[in-house]
Amino acid sequence: MNVPKRWRAIAIAAISTVALIPGTSFAATLSIWARASSSNAAQHMIDLWNASHDDKIELTTIPDNQMVTKLATSVQSGDVPDLISFDLIFMPDFMRAGLLTDLTDVLGADPNQAKVAQAFKDLATYEGRLYGTGFTPDVSILLYNKDLFRKAGLDPEQPPKTIGQLEDFARKIRASDPNAYGYYFSGSCGGCNIFTQAPMMWASGATLLPSSADGPAMEGTGVKEVLTMLHNMWKDGIIPESAEADTGANFQATFETGTIGMQGSGGFAIAALKANHPEIDFGIAPLPGVNEGDASSFVGGDVIAVPKGSKNADLALQFIQWQLTDDAQLNGLAKNLILPSRSDLADNEFFKAEPRYVTTAQAVGIGKTPYAFHFNDMVNADQSPWLTMLQTAVFDGDVDGAIAGAQETLRSIAAQ
Amino acid sequence: MHRALRKNAGFFYILPALVFVGLFVFWPLGQLVYLSLTDTSLLGGGKFIGFENYFKAFEDKSFWRALWFTLKYTVFITPILMGLGFLLALLTAPNRPLRQITRGIIFLPVVIGIGSSSLLWFWLFDQQVGLFNKALIDIGLMAEPMVWFTKADPALIAVTISITWKVIGFGMLLFVAGIQSINGEIGEAALIDGGSYWQRVWYIILPLSMRVILLTTLISVIGSMLAFDQFYIMTGGNPRGQTFTSVYWIYQNSFISFKLGYGAALSIILMLIILVFSSLQVALSNRSPAT
Repeated sequence: MNVPKRWRAIAIAAISTVALIPGTSFAATLSIWARASSSNAAQHMIDLWNASHDDKIELTTIPDNQMVTKLATSVQSGDVPDLISFDLIFMPDFMRAGLLTDLTDVLGADPNQAKVAQAFKDLATYEGRLYGTGFTPDVSILLYNKDLFRKAGLDPEQPPKTIGQLEDFARKIRASDPNAYGYYFSGSCGGCNIFTQAPMMWASGATLLPSSADGPAMEGTGVKEVLTMLHNMWKDGIIPESAEADTGANFQATFETGTIGMQGSGGFAIAALKANHPEIDFGIAPLPGVNEGDASSFVGGDVIAVPKGSKNADLALQFIQWQLTDDAQLNGLAKNLILPSRSDLADNEFFKAEPRYVTTAQAVGIGKTPYAFHFNDMVNADQSPWLTMLQTAVFDGDVDGAIAGAQETLRSIAAQ
Repeated sequence: MHRALRKNAGFFYILPALVFVGLFVFWPLGQLVYLSLTDTSLLGGGKFIGFENYFKAFEDKSFWRALWFTLKYTVFITPILMGLGFLLALLTAPNRPLRQITRGIIFLPVVIGIGSSSLLWFWLFDQQVGLFNKALIDIGLMAEPMVWFTKADPALIAVTISITWKVIGFGMLLFVAGIQSINGEIGEAALIDGGSYWQRVWYIILPLSMRVILLTTLISVIGSMLAFDQFYIMTGGNPRGQTFTSVYWIYQNSFISFKLGYGAALSIILMLIILVFSSLQVALSNRSPAT
């Protein structure tokens, strides 16, 4: 095509002018990696962003157990996603390894960041700098079967408020029906139990995981009491035999049989039970401590951060700030019955019809997450000191020996 | 020039294969050896620490316990796979339609991924919903459902049953090939001499299949020594770490504890152990009569 030189020059000048006007740019596509267990929640948020922004976000789902490997290798090869959503428990290790971008200057000045659940703020801080924020949280709660409560002569609207009551209720449930068990936990799953048993310990003031070699480990009221309670229930057949070998595969499935009175679980159980087992009348309560009023929770779920080397770091940060706004928290998460990461939005219009969500959302505010390096070594590994302590105490009955052994191993791991 | 080329023609023929093996076997192996001499973590680092990882491995009771369990598993499952595979091969070796179909059915699980089959069997052994328990109760072998994975021995038996179902067809097929390659006249001569079926099996088929048997044993032993998926999915190393295999322990160290350097050292040790076993079997194989 023969375009006159004069027109060609005008066209080039026009394009250059448009490109140089501040704020004029071509739409970009950001990439985000999210672990499988939180990708559904992340997708809701991304859909909301994509519907209202020119710059789009594309989600890649990574299997949960491959996230650390993928991120570490991608940072080392320089081929990273723009954003990453992963289990907040890994934040200390990732921050210390220098895999994440420092977001202190922008997020520190964001008023919405101040309203994010404290657990996320704590876990995303390393040496006074902020490297991420809350994205798609989940919390641990006590799940109980109201039908079994009624059968045992218990008030289904009065869940246990102390671990003593929990044991008492569990015994009554077991006694009321030979096919029913009072309590359940996955006895060979470190991660499941730090999520569901640990809050009962730290609700009464215990410190579980050391963040340094001389830090407190498995100390304070709650550790011995919870382990003893679990052992007593195990010894007397209040907990089913299959609990000992459960690596987490039956974490939810056992309660779904309708034969379990109570068990620690997560907020995710509400939607799952409502959808798949409408026949089970279940209640949600905070995980109790030794004394009444000691309730607590484990704040789990995903944190969002920008990996070092992100090609669209500024835009990624815009998304992070946007997802903390009222609109995103309510319409992206709460509207889809997913917990918001901001504690101030726990009581929202979408949760009103289902008070059980309010209980879980409030647990985000009172819950904790242990800040520890080498969390996998301490908790998740199949022979971790946390799991070994639990198994030795509950199944073998050596509570004091189990605690002493765990303290020693935990400190040696923290020293690495 | 031409003479030199002709003299080295053999070398040039194998050069592509050498390059391939060098790139995809020796180069990664070299990297692995180097990695084993560092403190590399999945999250970074990589300081050279000499043989420290190897010294640590020798003191790592969990690794040796895992290795011991792996050997126990290998010794337990290998005769089952060999014996049963050989019997099935005897049953299905003749090329008749029904036997060919039977062969196909037995071989079918081989094409299923080991992850899928382990998951399938994990639920079949489940105390509450598993069909395996129900079947044993129905035929009167058990009074009530059993929890298979709370004790090491039942867990080992459960995994062995699942793996036998999964891989028995492969061994059977190799044995069938071995049996079919035996000259039929030898069997006919034995038949004329009045040899019974089991005498022919014992004195003719078995000795003449020895090379195939040793090859299949070698493959089976290596596979068992490298067992991971089935234990990862079905037992999770439980109860109390009693069903950890060596590879599972290497995985734990490398990807759960992020200690890549240490994981590499454990891998090298395991590789050397398997190399010794394999060399012994290959030496035995070379002394066996050819069919």
